[in-house]
Amino acid sequence: MKFSYRWIREFVPGLEMPAQALERLITMKTAECEGIETAGALLAGAAVAKVQAVQPIEGFHNQIATVDAGPYGQKTVVCGASNCRAGITTVYVPLGLKKVSGVMSDGMLASAAELEINRDHAGILELDGTQELPAADQIIEIDNKSITHRPDLWGHHGMAREVAAITGQPLRDPVDLSLLPAGESPVQVEIEDFGLCPRYSALVFENVTVQPSPLWLQARLTAVGLNPINNIVDLTNFIMAELAQPMHAFDRAKLQGSVISARPARAGETILALNDESYELNPANLVIADGAGPIALAGVIGGKDSAISAATTSIVLESANFQASGIRKTSSALKLRTDASMRFEKAQDPHNTVRALARALELLPVLSPGIRLVGGMADCSRELSVPAPIWLNLPWLARKLGRTLETAEVRRILESLEFGVTETDAENFSVTVPSWRATKDVAMPDDLVEEVGRMIGYDSIAPTPPAVLCAPSYDPPEREFLRGVKRHLAAQGFTEVSNYSFISEEEARRFGFAVESHVRVLNPIAAGQELMRTSLLPGIYRNIVENAKHFEHFQLFETGREIHKVPGQKPAERTHAMAAVFSKDDGRAGLLELKRAAEGLAPGLHVRPAAPNAWEHTMRAAELWWQGRARAAKRIGRLSELHPNLVEGGRGAVLDIDLELLRELQPEAVKYAAVRRFPTSVFDLSILTAERELAATLELEIRRLGGDLAEAVEYVREFQGPPLPEGRKSVSFRVVAGAPDRTLSSADIIGIRTRIIDGLNSLGYELRA
Amino acid sequence: MQDLLDSALARITAAGTAAELEAVRVEVLGRKGVLAQLSKDMGKLSADERAARGKFINTAKQSLEGAYEELKSKFEAEALAKRLDSEWLDLTVPAPGARPGSLHPITQIQWEIEDLFRSLGFSVLDGPEVETEHHNFDALNIPPDHPARDMQDTFWLEGHHLLRTHTSPVQVRGMEKLGPPLRMIAPGRVFRNESVDASHEHTFYQLEGMMIDRNVSAGNLIYFMKTLLTAIFKREVTVRLRPGFFPFVEPGFELDIRCLICGGDGCPVCKQSGWVELLPCGLVNPHVLRMSGIDPNEWGGFAFGLGLTRLVMMRYAIDDIRWLQSGDLRFLRQF
Repeated sequence: MKFSYRWIREFVPGLEMPAQALERLITMKTAECEGIETAGALLAGAAVAKVQAVQPIEGFHNQIATVDAGPYGQKTVVCGASNCRAGITTVYVPLGLKKVSGVMSDGMLASAAELEINRDHAGILELDGTQELPAADQIIEIDNKSITHRPDLWGHHGMAREVAAITGQPLRDPVDLSLLPAGESPVQVEIEDFGLCPRYSALVFENVTVQPSPLWLQARLTAVGLNPINNIVDLTNFIMAELAQPMHAFDRAKLQGSVISARPARAGETILALNDESYELNPANLVIADGAGPIALAGVIGGKDSAISAATTSIVLESANFQASGIRKTSSALKLRTDASMRFEKAQDPHNTVRALARALELLPVLSPGIRLVGGMADCSRELSVPAPIWLNLPWLARKLGRTLETAEVRRILESLEFGVTETDAENFSVTVPSWRATKDVAMPDDLVEEVGRMIGYDSIAPTPPAVLCAPSYDPPEREFLRGVKRHLAAQGFTEVSNYSFISEEEARRFGFAVESHVRVLNPIAAGQELMRTSLLPGIYRNIVENAKHFEHFQLFETGREIHKVPGQKPAERTHAMAAVFSKDDGRAGLLELKRAAEGLAPGLHVRPAAPNAWEHTMRAAELWWQGRARAAKRIGRLSELHPNLVEGGRGAVLDIDLELLRELQPEAVKYAAVRRFPTSVFDLSILTAERELAATLELEIRRLGGDLAEAVEYVREFQGPPLPEGRKSVSFRVVAGAPDRTLSSADIIGIRTRIIDGLNSLGYELRA
Repeated sequence: MQDLLDSALARITAAGTAAELEAVRVEVLGRKGVLAQLSKDMGKLSADERAARGKFINTAKQSLEGAYEELKSKFEAEALAKRLDSEWLDLTVPAPGARPGSLHPITQIQWEIEDLFRSLGFSVLDGPEVETEHHNFDALNIPPDHPARDMQDTFWLEGHHLLRTHTSPVQVRGMEKLGPPLRMIAPGRVFRNESVDASHEHTFYQLEGMMIDRNVSAGNLIYFMKTLLTAIFKREVTVRLRPGFFPFVEPGFELDIRCLICGGDGCPVCKQSGWVELLPCGLVNPHVLRMSGIDPNEWGGFAFGLGLTRLVMMRYAIDDIRWLQSGDLRFLRQF
């Protein structure tokens, strides 16, 4: 929202500080300013000038004009405008000497666009001799988000009220309600639902002359970002920018009948709007209609058919109030945000409709000389309720702010913002809220904390530690667990990455995930981000491919949430960790590195070969099972190499772990067991077997055969190649034999060893000497 | 006899290697050695002679053994020195195994702030990334069709769910779960439906904080923010509050810090204003308390939202927000 400094000063005549200082105060006490710009910078030195003579420049389109530049005297300027001719009155701007088309030009003649009066840049501005040039202005731009809750700040008078309160200056009201006419209006207003349209007021005028607005008014509108069109439309925009009340003017001759109704659109109705777009309407859209159908989309935009044109001689001037959420719904549904809808969706004050009409009554005779009011004012309104006063306890207010307050100061602040203050006793105020703050903004004592706090200055509050009970904080175990996982993986050489939660349908298909099993984003930001990830794999895969362009070897990991569809319920979130190793070797080391990382998280986990997924190396896919504190092992994750078709120029291995399951399985606190007192004996076994026999299978058999006295069975190494026959390998294990209550005799040891060897032989394994 | 002894001594000292020395030892000190020979015919000698011989043998034994031991130690020392020398090792070669990994800069700063707040008695809570409209908006006093919903462009999911646009829903969940009094923070990933460029991301990290107790004032809020920011920036910071609108707080503030680059004199970082907008905060709106089952007449509090992503960018002077979600190790390995 752009605010004109001059406009504000019209309502706060005592305002003397420059715009820069005012901007800072507004930022600190009302709303965030985004900066100051000068509007009509060229107007600052401009003078009305008369073109005395014009002569062409050989070989150029430009002409040399000799002008009487008023206070600047006679000047010779080069001008390219086709309307530059002897005898016209225009605007001279001193810019210094400059060679243009080979001729020294002393300043320029300006167009209305260059002067920022309107957007007309077809030629230089022609004046009729009676109009004064508008003055340059300072424009303070306020962040719209910071006034979302302040319907009153969408007009200059509202901001002027703030400025008056901040500076302690009196505020002038531009509205004279006594101008409102009595008597019957020639139009009748019908409101179907007062909830949607609390109030509709209108005036009818005849003998209207549609013409351009005076330059000062055009310059004002341009300065605050509105586009001058003609005197009638400009009037509605001017009052909107001044009083925050959007208005609309209909060409009365184009209306059917004398009844204007505010009603929900009938299904199938359409309207051709002022922006030349046609909208198909439904009962969720409130329309203004005449006898024939919709003439405006209420609170959003007017209809083209009843628009003001050069031929208009009679108008209906609408000043209505609409329910905020209804306007917002229509405006969002039709993707049509206008200056009017932006204001109405902030919940405008229904008292304001007639104020805007009174202001129009003052301005119209100036803008359209000879205009005549027809009849009285149409004003259909629900009963406007007066909000109950707010009870404000002053000690409470002081406690909320954390500083002491003078009663008189609190009263002064509230009254400067036009709150009504009654002192019910020494500690309590009864505060009435002005209608323009009562629609949504101020309703409870806490809202008054803000009013007093901001005006007294938050910088007057000293930082104070709170006096609260000391208590240990509640810390969910998940957090600390996740930290441990991240720390472990980073210590193991993995670099943490963070990927998006979105994936594309194509990615889902690439990894063989069913597209329909994903939660879909209804309004994705871009193609390729339409599904919620059900696995961290697509992101990690992307990381592997991208980083392989820069590195020969790398290890990375991510922890993040998988989002899974749950029919009829909120999607389930599951935190996983996925780690990856990329290398240019045979891939073996990377997989074992990942296994080591997994074993660090789940000591004693089991790896079980698994049927490969489409994205996995067919011979290198395994599930990870871990018992942890549970009775039986559970599948906590997966370890595999990516299919070579997916990774160019190297090997990519990935480890996926369900961190929620891993956490649930965390063993309970360690129980100490007495250290063995009796020595153990150790012997090695080398087993000759098929080359794809699993070491884990052999180990399991040895454990089983060794029984209780085989305390530990450890894999030592394996060997393949001559002198062993093709297709065979030798796997060595070390068996530690011992008993808790005695030293085993050599006969015991031989017994165990023989039992294991015989057992293995009978299973078809061969023992190497 | 003396000649015999001298020649034996000479043979010991002449040994050039440990093996030679051992051979001499056997010849001289062994069971069939020179000394043994000398003691053999002791029985034939007279008592006086025997005493003299015995004395001689003892002396000879001592000197021979002494010479032997001395030389043996020398050879052992030489052998050890040789072994050690042969075990020369170049410790400048890289160690085998993986290089240390690293944690994402967001993780690092998040932990730092979590630890700070835990030391002040705050709980660190977590909430879902997929939220209900109720928790993300309604319970935070942002009803449907409230213009404040425009402030946070939302990703909508099928089934009327959404991706949380802020970590504030965890406030609600925290109040529902733990009740007052309450001190909590909630760091996490949030989503806004915004186009991505050097300074905008649709996925970023926030840290929400809340304190609910009796008699919590704006002065307490300022105290906590000052403590927090001084710890984060590791130097004294000056803060200021100005009005800001956020429906879940009343009054609501924008908190600025005095520009750390120019100290408040004005520079490009603070756009010449001397202040940098850092975080939104405020006193918890009574409606929000009531919706979470807390009596606003008895309890009050403050809440704030800190942009972790923004903080990381400030701390490391990162010029493009997209690096953070890029997964690019050239960037991430620096942290």
